[in-house]
Amino acid sequence: MNSLWTVMAFTLRSKLRSKAYVWTTVTLAVLLVLGSNLPYILERLNVGGSSEPKPVGYLEGVYPEIVQGLEAFFARQENPGVRLVPIPSGGSPQADEAALRQAGEDETVKGYLTFTDRPETGFPEAVFHSASVMNFSLADSLRIALESVKAEMVFRNVELDEAERALLATPVAVHTLLVSPDGEGGRTAAEHAVVMGLTYALIILLFMAVTITGQLVATEITAEKSSRVMEILITSVKPLTQMFGKILGTFVAGIVQIAVLVGVAVVSLTLPHNRGALEALGIRLDAVEPQLLAYAIFFYLAGYFLYATLFAAIGSIVSRTEELGQATTPVMLLSILGFYVAIFSLQNPDSPLVVIGSYIPFFTPFLMFERIGLAEPPAWEIALAIGILLASILLFGWLAAKIYRVGVLMYGKRPSIRELIKAMKAYRV
Amino acid sequence: MKPLVIEQIVKQYGEKTAVSDLSFEVSEGEIYGLLGANGAGKTTTMRMILGLIMPDRGEIRYYGKPYGSEQLRMMGYLPEERGLYPKLKVADQLIYLGQLRGMSRAEADRSLRDWLRKFQVEEYYNRKVEELSKGNQQKIQFIAAVIHRPKILIMDEAFSGLDPVNVELLKSAVKELRDQGTSMVFSTHRMEHVEELCRNITILDRSRTMLQGSLREIKRRFPRERVVLDTEGDVQGLDSLPDIRSVRRTETGYEIFIAREEAAQNVLRHSLAQAQVRRFELMEPTLNEIFIKTVGERNE
Repeated sequence: MNSLWTVMAFTLRSKLRSKAYVWTTVTLAVLLVLGSNLPYILERLNVGGSSEPKPVGYLEGVYPEIVQGLEAFFARQENPGVRLVPIPSGGSPQADEAALRQAGEDETVKGYLTFTDRPETGFPEAVFHSASVMNFSLADSLRIALESVKAEMVFRNVELDEAERALLATPVAVHTLLVSPDGEGGRTAAEHAVVMGLTYALIILLFMAVTITGQLVATEITAEKSSRVMEILITSVKPLTQMFGKILGTFVAGIVQIAVLVGVAVVSLTLPHNRGALEALGIRLDAVEPQLLAYAIFFYLAGYFLYATLFAAIGSIVSRTEELGQATTPVMLLSILGFYVAIFSLQNPDSPLVVIGSYIPFFTPFLMFERIGLAEPPAWEIALAIGILLASILLFGWLAAKIYRVGVLMYGKRPSIRELIKAMKAYRV
Repeated sequence: MKPLVIEQIVKQYGEKTAVSDLSFEVSEGEIYGLLGANGAGKTTTMRMILGLIMPDRGEIRYYGKPYGSEQLRMMGYLPEERGLYPKLKVADQLIYLGQLRGMSRAEADRSLRDWLRKFQVEEYYNRKVEELSKGNQQKIQFIAAVIHRPKILIMDEAFSGLDPVNVELLKSAVKELRDQGTSMVFSTHRMEHVEELCRNITILDRSRTMLQGSLREIKRRFPRERVVLDTEGDVQGLDSLPDIRSVRRTETGYEIFIAREEAAQNVLRHSLAQAQVRRFELMEPTLNEIFIKTVGERNE
């Protein structure tokens, strides 16, 4: 136990002091700060800002009834998305169009509205000429406003009381509520979006943490082997102690890195100027369920230890660092496969592929986590998958220790599986 | 209770026998020489002593006890292929190695400083290993093997890659450890080191024990076959004397190989009759000759 601690502390210390580690952490932290402040920065750079109503031009004098209706509609709203700007007519249709176009180019308006007669319906067809492809929400606001104007025009001559008119003028609110199988609770669509986003982010984080720290373990072990310091190490402390000390030390280094990054992200997301930007996007951090975070931490731990033992075993049989990339490819592919299945089935977490995959230990951290986040599987399924995962960690840990035991003594060509088994028998491990 | 007893150990890798039926004992304060050509089984034997590999048969006892984790701490190892962490500072890694073998940080630090002082390289305490010259890396490597004051020290190719000054330095360190009671198993290709340091030796050849015993007895077992003769002026007809194998001229006289020891007296008489003899010696066989005789001849 004592030497396990020594190996772990040594691994951690050399890791934390290494330039590569420090620079990766700093670079990622800077990127995170930039990324989380991006909405705010964009908003700053954006003239007028996103909460201001956007100017939309129209030709002065066309369809006065509709234009007045639109203005009245936007005036009634608390945060109108649109401000109508009259553009003086140029006299001829060509001059009119040129004037509208000019306004768009001058950026006095974000786009302009034109109307085409449609005698068969009695309501003209409106065309929104957008100055940029990104004005989806603007077109949406205009459509809702036009619907309302049309309804008002239709019901103008009908006797309606105030309440009925108000009802008519109010846009319909649609909220999606996710049905949960046990019939209670359920998330709103906004909450669901947050959970989806969080699941997505955590799966990426999990994948990166597992593969990057796993590779680190393998690289360190191969480096010790190729520099031949391994021969002294294995005569000082039991190989098993050494392997797990290495895995644990690298793990703590990984956790420290992740903690720094998550800390940076949380701090910059909760800065006062960013809170507004997040809320505008419908993201509220307090909507995150603590239970889901607990699962995330558990699957991170389990996934890391499962993959790290494999990486350690591979690191121990490779003699030269240059050969390591090739040797770790199968394990990398395994983790990439789990990662991709998880990412591409985010919209479809109940598909048989995900359900079956969530019981395969190498995929469980990704897929079972995704199911828990997005599909609410029954408790026994979670327990079964976790049971299989833990059992395989023990199994692969034991196997990796055996491989490690003989691998570190075998120099030269990378041994085949048969040679490994032969060596295990010969060394009596 | 002998610090190290090896009893009829056998190790096979598949069909290939690496070590067969090897036995020897090392006393306290003894340096034991394990000799053999490449592939004779020296490294396998050392790995078995270190507990890295279990023998298929036979037994190794450390102060009367079988191998266990407490043995790890009383053993030191200087591997044939030298290696340390190139990018780490000397102090960082040697203190780590000391700690792995059960020392406290402070103890390891003190021991490291003592050794650096002994080798007159105190300024390397804070230097990275890759910045040191090869000879100095070897000194650090040696300290790595002995920092925890092992009771049993295993040295594979102990002085290879060192210049004569550093060889003397390490040799005196080894002798000092011996005088303090450390038991050592030692392999090398340099026979003069064995003659200087070892009381008992084993010569292995392709897994088998060819020669074993005290160096003096082994030498006595081999006939003295070489005569060194220095004379003023030439001596004629040496090669026509009985039982003479060959005669070689040297800068100062002759080197004569004889078939029987008695022939030496004849050589002396013959020479005295012709010239003034400055030196006449019936040479003891060197370990080098014995080694080549036992191992080399069959390897041809």
